Amino acid sequence: MKNKHRYQTEGEIYFQKRLFRNRIYFALAFCILLLLLLLGRMTFLQWVGYNHYQSMAEGNRISVEALPPVRGRIYDRNHVIIADNQPIFTLKFSKDKIENLNKSFIDLHLLIPNLSKEKLSKFYERLNASSRYRQLYLPYTLSESEAARFASNSYQFPGITLVAKLKRTYPFNESAAHVLGYVGKINQNEYEQLNASEYAGTDVIGKLGIEKYYEHLLHGVPGIQQIESNARGRIIRKLETIPAKPGKDIQLTLDIHLQRFIETLLKNKKAAVVVIEPNTGEILAFVSSPAYDPNLFVDGISQKNYQALLSNPQRPLVNRVLNGQYPPGSTIKPFIALAAIENQIISPTTTIEDPGFLEYQDHRYRDWKRRGHGTVDMHKAIVESCDTYFYKLSLDMGIDLIHKSLTPFGFGQITQIDLHNESTGILPSRSWKRQVKNDDWYNGETIITSIGQGFFLTTPLQLAKATSILANRGEIIQPRLLKDTPTTMIKKIGIENINNWDKVIQAMEDTVHNIHGTAHAYARGLPFKMAGKTGTAQVFSLNEGEYNESEITKNLRDHSLFIGFAPVDQPKIAISVIIENSSTKAAPIAIDIAKYYLKELSNEN
Amino acid sequence: MRIDLPQREKVYRQKKGIWFSMHLDSWLLLGIFLLIITGSLIVYSASGSDLNVLIRHLTRVGFAFALMLFFAQIPPNIMRVYTPWIFLVGTIMLISVILFGEIGKGAKRWLDLGVIKFQPAEIMKLGLPMMLAWLYSHDTFPPSPKKMLIGIALVGLIAGLIIIQPDLGTSILIAMSGLFVLFFAGLSWRWITSSIAIVAASLPIIWNFYMYDYQKQRVLTFLNPESDPLGTGYHIIQSKIAIGSGGLEGKGLMGSTQAHLEFLPESTTDFIFAVFAEEFGLIGVVALLTLYFLVMARGLYIASQAQDNFARLTAASLVMTLFVYVFVNIGMVSGILPVVGLPLPLLSYGGSSMVTLMISFGILMSIHTHKKLLTS
Repeated sequence: MKNKHRYQTEGEIYFQKRLFRNRIYFALAFCILLLLLLLGRMTFLQWVGYNHYQSMAEGNRISVEALPPVRGRIYDRNHVIIADNQPIFTLKFSKDKIENLNKSFIDLHLLIPNLSKEKLSKFYERLNASSRYRQLYLPYTLSESEAARFASNSYQFPGITLVAKLKRTYPFNESAAHVLGYVGKINQNEYEQLNASEYAGTDVIGKLGIEKYYEHLLHGVPGIQQIESNARGRIIRKLETIPAKPGKDIQLTLDIHLQRFIETLLKNKKAAVVVIEPNTGEILAFVSSPAYDPNLFVDGISQKNYQALLSNPQRPLVNRVLNGQYPPGSTIKPFIALAAIENQIISPTTTIEDPGFLEYQDHRYRDWKRRGHGTVDMHKAIVESCDTYFYKLSLDMGIDLIHKSLTPFGFGQITQIDLHNESTGILPSRSWKRQVKNDDWYNGETIITSIGQGFFLTTPLQLAKATSILANRGEIIQPRLLKDTPTTMIKKIGIENINNWDKVIQAMEDTVHNIHGTAHAYARGLPFKMAGKTGTAQVFSLNEGEYNESEITKNLRDHSLFIGFAPVDQPKIAISVIIENSSTKAAPIAIDIAKYYLKELSNEN
Repeated sequence: MRIDLPQREKVYRQKKGIWFSMHLDSWLLLGIFLLIITGSLIVYSASGSDLNVLIRHLTRVGFAFALMLFFAQIPPNIMRVYTPWIFLVGTIMLISVILFGEIGKGAKRWLDLGVIKFQPAEIMKLGLPMMLAWLYSHDTFPPSPKKMLIGIALVGLIAGLIIIQPDLGTSILIAMSGLFVLFFAGLSWRWITSSIAIVAASLPIIWNFYMYDYQKQRVLTFLNPESDPLGTGYHIIQSKIAIGSGGLEGKGLMGSTQAHLEFLPESTTDFIFAVFAEEFGLIGVVALLTLYFLVMARGLYIASQAQDNFARLTAASLVMTLFVYVFVNIGMVSGILPVVGLPLPLLSYGGSSMVTLMISFGILMSIHTHKKLLTS
């Protein structure tokens, strides 16, 4: 590079200066040309087109107004409306056309006494702070008589107009709130992401749940209304109209009656229940308890109500079905047993002796039954939920085989149900532990994994899906909430010995019906055959930090779980139930649900 | 170019007046003042006489003006030394904005440095042309084809980094500011015409594979405003009504009915020219365009009087970039160019582009007032 720094000759300097100057002249000429082009355009608009544009601006002019589409309604599987649009009357304030703001507000209070002074003064402040040309809606729904009274006195209120709007309502309030989600005011962030002309005239958007997931179906396309108005903005008449295309009505797979029945069973409990129709993957009920009222969010939730929901120790805003991650506890045992006999780690008839614990590497892994279950084979291990049997079995299987055999059942993966933000849960493996904990896998961890403890976490939805795969004897059907989609079988879990399904399912049936079964106490006189498995999950709680461990007995902190399906021969429902930190058992609730739904089914036929 | 002459530290200071001794150019300063005053009046009018908006605008103008004063004090030689480093930092920031940037309007443009958030692309509006000017600062014009190719590669790199943010409009404008340097350095006409031909030929490919739907939508709307009467098409129609109804003399200050009845979108920023044209008419428009032309002509004069290649190329390309902004904004508002969200220099409600613009004026003034006396 250095040798390039040489002195320039006089000729070079002269040539260079001339070249640069020529380019400057050319640039100048180019700019003049473009400026003349702009000037020509301006002359065309302001001189030649003056009369045309003047009359458009000064005379009556045509403006376009968006006609918001009607949002699609949501039905349950029996055509019951669970999200509706309700026509309401409210007042629209056009600040620049209001002559005397103070007087208008006083008159308004006289006309509509229900409209409290506090509410009005709050709105008055908002209106005062806003730009002169904004239009604001009063956050108040006028009754029909109030609307009629305002309409007949509207001449007193220039700049305030009575408008009819459609407001989203959820007629069942808290019911299925975690599935439906809600709509709410479009915020700045959302506004930037969406196509503004698709949302012209609309001020709400699906925020959560089905309302968000199927926003593209529910929203519709706005129409266009051409309005002729005079120079002061007053509407003279309406011209051409392109009607809005309403959003699509959608039907969910939910059975709102079943959903409500379950919600009553779970009242005041922290719990989650999922009910699936195994052969179609249709979600019949999706209960996360406690819930919240989505109607609160539609007009924008008040600070007070939102704080109350946030600070509620039962955490109603959490979607326990989708995002609650619980150790599966003993409900995992049928899956482990199936993997073991399928891979011929053990024969179903092989027995072990259970002294009430397994001693391994100086550590005593205890059975829930202190004195042990005696001689135990696979059938008895499931029926009586013998831990020691599975401790021993897991050491023969190893974590790799457990991980490989449980993966097809969907543990540790999202179910891909039609809702956003699903949690994955954790199906532990060597590579998972290396990645997350940066540590080796220890055999002690395999032992507790076999009874669904340790790192193992599942969501209630995953458990229900896995149960329905059991009920289908290996057919994996995509779980879904939208009725109008075809049943899709993702694949069938291949199995060497087809009888192995029967062996596991028989054991689960006896868990419910056999005198020694862990769920037998709740199933006396059941008019149909049900297969199930109980479980208890220790320690983990959604709000663990808020508990003082010494004050609360261990038993109270355990979660109770149950998975099951019925009837055994021709499964109509698969259920997963999780009750958090409660002495209430999950099994009787699942059995009640099965009873209720199968009866409902037979009544229909 | 390095001409070894006995360095006489005698500068023009003694001969030229007070402005010069403060490293300011009185003619540029006058033009800037007139434009800023016009802009402030229109911002006040278009905001519906909102004093708060005006105060915020003036605060930003004041900040930008202070930066201009600051940059005018830095001699071009020192700027040249720092240019490659600034360019390097800017490039790293562009890459990090792609990796960690904040998302706004579906595009990653902002970099959050804790204290401040800003768009690294803004740095490149100055960084890229100055980098190219640095590249050719020791060459005889026109530089060798090899160096021209290096320059084109740099332009391509930066434009590419901004396109994937994605921000097509800014990317094109920054690429143009770089290409102006090549033009002023003496890129041969044959190259210029053939590259224009190549760009024209590749347009269909860009359209099909590299443009986002919202960008396509804008172009389609431009070609047929009626197709999107609820979106930007409607804005253009309203903007044309505003301009046209201004007529010869305009409706007077605060007389814009279009902006006041909220027919006009973004009336204090991108569409401020429509408000100006409505209130001041064709006469005002002619005066405004003349004012812009004079500011530019003064800028090109400064470039032609500059003493070394770096100063020459920097000055000329900054002036041309300013012109392109003016042309594209007015063209867009009056409906001869597609809507590409771009403010009108010195008139629009102040934003980050106002800061960049005032810095470039500072650089121009510095170039003009830091000369060595070259009489031998």
